[in-house]
Amino acid sequence: MAAASFQVEHNSQGNKHVTLYGQWSLRDLDNDFAQLRKALKPYFADNTVQWDITHVEQLDTAGAAVLQNGWGSHLDDKVTLTDQQRALFTSLADIPQLPPAKAFSLDSLRLITNAGRLTIFLSSHIADFVKLLGLLVLELAYLLRRPQDFPWREFSANIYKSGITALPVTALLGFMIGIAMSFLMATQLRTFGADIFIVNILGLAVIRELGPILMAVLIAGRSGSAMAAQIGVMRVTEEIDALATMGISRILRVVLPKVLGLTFIAPFLVIWTSVWALLGGAISANIELGLGFRFFFEYLATVVQPVNITLGLIKGLMFGFIVAIMACHFGLRIKPNTESLSRSTTSSVVTAITCVILIDASFAILTSSIGV
Amino acid sequence: MSTPAPRPICEIHKLWTVFGRNIIHQDLELTINAGEVVSLVGGSGSGKTTLLRHIVGLTQPTRGEVLLFGKNLHAMDRVPQQRLMNRLGMLFQQGALFSALSVFDNIAFPLRELRQFNEATIRQLVLHKLSLVEMEPDAGNRLPSQLSGGMIKRVALARALALEPELLLLDEPTAGLDPERSENFVELIKQIKHALGLTVIFVTHDLDTLVSLSDKVAVLADQRIVANCSLQELGHIDHPFVQNFFQGIRVRLERTG
Repeated sequence: MAAASFQVEHNSQGNKHVTLYGQWSLRDLDNDFAQLRKALKPYFADNTVQWDITHVEQLDTAGAAVLQNGWGSHLDDKVTLTDQQRALFTSLADIPQLPPAKAFSLDSLRLITNAGRLTIFLSSHIADFVKLLGLLVLELAYLLRRPQDFPWREFSANIYKSGITALPVTALLGFMIGIAMSFLMATQLRTFGADIFIVNILGLAVIRELGPILMAVLIAGRSGSAMAAQIGVMRVTEEIDALATMGISRILRVVLPKVLGLTFIAPFLVIWTSVWALLGGAISANIELGLGFRFFFEYLATVVQPVNITLGLIKGLMFGFIVAIMACHFGLRIKPNTESLSRSTTSSVVTAITCVILIDASFAILTSSIGV
Repeated sequence: MSTPAPRPICEIHKLWTVFGRNIIHQDLELTINAGEVVSLVGGSGSGKTTLLRHIVGLTQPTRGEVLLFGKNLHAMDRVPQQRLMNRLGMLFQQGALFSALSVFDNIAFPLRELRQFNEATIRQLVLHKLSLVEMEPDAGNRLPSQLSGGMIKRVALARALALEPELLLLDEPTAGLDPERSENFVELIKQIKHALGLTVIFVTHDLDTLVSLSDKVAVLADQRIVANCSLQELGHIDHPFVQNFFQGIRVRLERTG
């Protein structure tokens, strides 16, 4: 057993004669076919070279394919080989070719076909989304008639998974943002001697805008992606089909508890995040401007109207619903391969955050006269 | 015909596997020689698949060692280890095809990883492997999710064979196939074994597959290998599990002659 090698001899007429030795197979771990091909290249190119491969100890399809690739498709008299080797080469040459991949063409209709494809793609998304919403409404109607079928266990599991376990991270983020905002504003306001207004600005911004948005972005990244991936894997492993064969509605058991659970817990998360952000802001204001905590919170209650809290809670409800429904929508569209799983999970998070911000902007315009 | 001295491909010495408080294998000894087709049998939960995973180096035994081609995989440097792994091919129970890659790219994957061949050669080799497992070349463009169970097994076998391994490991090769397909698949493995001169280790629950494919049977019971011999010799081994098992295969042995 020796690694693949070759020898070149020149005969009296000046013709070259290449003899191959050793194991021309992948089994010999010392072989490197890339180097062998490079070394043999000048002889492959020269049509007058005579080849002798009868001394090869072992020839497998990989070795044979490399040689045949060098020689060109047909073997003629230039190669001396055993019958067994000839059979191997013939079987390699007999392999039908793969149908050529469609050539990349730049025709004038491409723009239109692409636009059409995009339209079909988007409308299929919208159709699926509307269908999902409709199914949810139907399931809710069904639950009104048969309240004992409400999936309490899944509902509470979702509240725990996407609400309770999110408490530390939302608190930390809210607290840090509160500190950062208050710090930056303090230096600006001090130059105008308007120190006291930090309470107004911070209170309004956090309760009305930052609390809900921070919460939405966090749960979209945390719970939304998890929900989409979970539904996707349940589809891949046919768990969803298994539910259906037991006569259990997948919408009732899988989608509804997620949507209701997250919608239910989101307003509480908004309050939680806002409280921590205000706490961070108060600490920062105390250090930078010397505002007392007691004063900060008493004054906050007088300058920020309670309706702002209601607005924040409504936003929390909406954002929770959007994140959950987007996760379920994209999760149900996942096809059974890893590529689709990652693409849909990403899309669910990106779409949810985009929708949240769009809705927040329109909400801000619509409610601009309330509570300020 | 003179038989050459047996060359061990896989040697297992004093192997222990312990999961928590569960002892799966205890002082297990097994040697598999080149050219043998060995089936690994045993009751459910007796650790057949675990043993297979130890052999290919996916898991490390609690104690003892597994020698592949005379070397311990876990005691090797990365590059030689990778090259040694190229000498074995594994067919997983569910196929384990890369779901994001087409059939063609799945089979081409190990060949491309080797970085020794150009695309033209790779294409020829992939199509050769496809024809070896009796699949049409235009199946190459499909994705694994578009294949039937039997086709997934064939493609997975083609991928396991892509680097012309010396050792082929099959985990439940015929599970999930209907009798006719599983018979065809066994025939296919036999043909390939004959053509490429492979050593095969496989785990199966299907007695028909076992009888028609294996030269030797290694029986896993009481946390160790209680028998490693030909099918006929199993009748002489005095062990309740082996006796029970032999009753099951005797009818089939007589039928095949």
